[in-house]
Amino acid sequence: MDREPPLERKTSISYKTEEKTVLRGYDLSELAEEGYSFYDAMFVLFQDRLPTEPEEKMLKYEMGVFLEHSMSPSAVGAIGVSIGRPNLPCAIAASITTFGGVHGPGAAHGYMMKKYLKRAHDEGKTVDEMAKILVDEYLDNKKPVMGMGQPQHIDSDPRAEPIHLKQEELELNGVYLQMQRAIEKHFHARRKAEGRSYVGVNVVGAGNTALCDIGFAPNAAWCIGSVCRGFSCAAHALFNMKRGRAWGASRREPMVQVIDLSMIKYVGPEDRVVPKQEDRQEYAKKQKEEGEYKQWVI
Amino acid sequence: MGDLGDKKGIGNLDNPGLPYDYSQREYGTVPLDDKRARFQWVSEVAYKNVHRIVARGYDTTELVEEGYGVTDVLFVDFQARIPTTEEDKMLNYVMILALEDGLSMPVAISRLVAQSKTFLTQACGASILAFGHAYGAYSAFGNMLLDSLEAGQAQGLSIEQIAQGIVKEHLGSESLGVSDLMLKDPAAKRMIARAEKLGVAGTYVELIKAIAKAAQEASDTPVDIDMLGAMGSVMMDLGFSPEATWAILAVTRSFAAGAHYIEEVERGSYQKLGQPLTPKECYDGQADRPVPPLADRDKHAKSALCKDLDQWNKAEQDRKKVLGSGYSIHEEIEDPSKKTGIKSVGKKL
Repeated sequence: MDREPPLERKTSISYKTEEKTVLRGYDLSELAEEGYSFYDAMFVLFQDRLPTEPEEKMLKYEMGVFLEHSMSPSAVGAIGVSIGRPNLPCAIAASITTFGGVHGPGAAHGYMMKKYLKRAHDEGKTVDEMAKILVDEYLDNKKPVMGMGQPQHIDSDPRAEPIHLKQEELELNGVYLQMQRAIEKHFHARRKAEGRSYVGVNVVGAGNTALCDIGFAPNAAWCIGSVCRGFSCAAHALFNMKRGRAWGASRREPMVQVIDLSMIKYVGPEDRVVPKQEDRQEYAKKQKEEGEYKQWVI
Repeated sequence: MGDLGDKKGIGNLDNPGLPYDYSQREYGTVPLDDKRARFQWVSEVAYKNVHRIVARGYDTTELVEEGYGVTDVLFVDFQARIPTTEEDKMLNYVMILALEDGLSMPVAISRLVAQSKTFLTQACGASILAFGHAYGAYSAFGNMLLDSLEAGQAQGLSIEQIAQGIVKEHLGSESLGVSDLMLKDPAAKRMIARAEKLGVAGTYVELIKAIAKAAQEASDTPVDIDMLGAMGSVMMDLGFSPEATWAILAVTRSFAAGAHYIEEVERGSYQKLGQPLTPKECYDGQADRPVPPLADRDKHAKSALCKDLDQWNKAEQDRKKVLGSGYSIHEEIEDPSKKTGIKSVGKKL
């Protein structure tokens, strides 16, 4: 049997022999036998170290609370893919790939924090002073401050503030939490001064802050959050595959299905006659000259 | 939208053989259906409102405040129950072992995707696609066990007899859970021992041990329980369905795929379109040949059309020589959803 790896690479993460699988020097089987948790293994994987007990507890809390979020883009993506009845991994893969610039942008939030912390360090400013600069720069440029606001939990994300409190309870309030709390203070103050409504911190603002303070780089934090959500999206896809109607368009269901024909609302160009081929050139040139089509170009 | 049926278009698709008048077919979208309930995202897994996220009846923030973690929430999401501490410990153990597997396929895919300068999440998602019915075949393995147990128990067979039947049919299969992969690595056997020590081993662990014994008797070469067999049987004794097992362990591996994506970006460089070459030594297809002039097409072109069954049968065989054509792959026609282990499609809610 060919046991060569499918890709030749030098890696500092792991190796595998006929005798054992080793992660950053630790035999995986020994880690599990010794009673380390899956969260401990995540520290070994991404940070090449075993965490302190409070750090392990923080990651457990963060991953546990982020895993399930009912109908978000990720679950909807998984369900959407599942209605065609592909293999289950396709639906899970789709759910994880929904995490982009807007849905759970953990890496972007982390890089924002790092950028402004570095500026504070280089310019000799306090974290609080730099947080105000951050808020002003974002809002002056009409850009949303990452980590603030959630389109569904408009009265404050039920996960976010408890994550902050847990981080403080575990005495893990490092420079990132100082920065995030200061961002929130200046953000709220500015919105209040402008007569605008309250917008709370979201789970990225809180959770990613905690992950940064316990040593995860922005991309590692993003990976942890996005992949963790894959677990629950698998459950949503599986529920639909086992109990739901494939294709999502049956007219025999008592409830209108997700892609029933009546769900389609069309707002494009009016119905029109397909031009004959002999009229094509003249028709096409006229269309270009008139330019009406340009409003539809995407 | 207007009805263009009377306006001059292509008519009845210019073909009198069409069994209906295409030109008279209506345009316009379908009106909203007010005779049935409006569409809603139906779920028995979870819901949320402005203030809470609730999985199987448990508020998720309250769950973590109470000290529950990912492994517990997996039981909640997939089984609608809180696990015992032993079950939770066992799942934790299994997930640590499932996390890393060196430079195997999920990680290779993740690293290849990374080379194209993508989002990290694309690489993590792609890694999950590596889990099929050979690599990480938890669905195929689990359903083989489920079906064999159900059929065997209905016939009054013992576990040993059921195991012998499985081995007779599946020895050498990628999804048997018994192979020569773990003869020197004790991790699979230690996992089984841990499940027994924690008191969570049940029928499926008993069955995989019996399968291993039967396979050892039937095989000419040494075999034993491998990681698929150990993790798959333990997960099923923890109450997870074959599909839930497949999903949980594929996602677990994806965390490590993320770390490998990061390392690939940190150590490597991106690939441009057209950059990788394929050396001729890798090629064993047709010898280089001149492209015939277009005007000579008829002299060189061969029709694929078969006018009778003998021609068709010969063509089927000949075409198997063209690797990449797909003629050498045979698939049984069945409900494709069953390949994922799903037993029914379209069950009414």
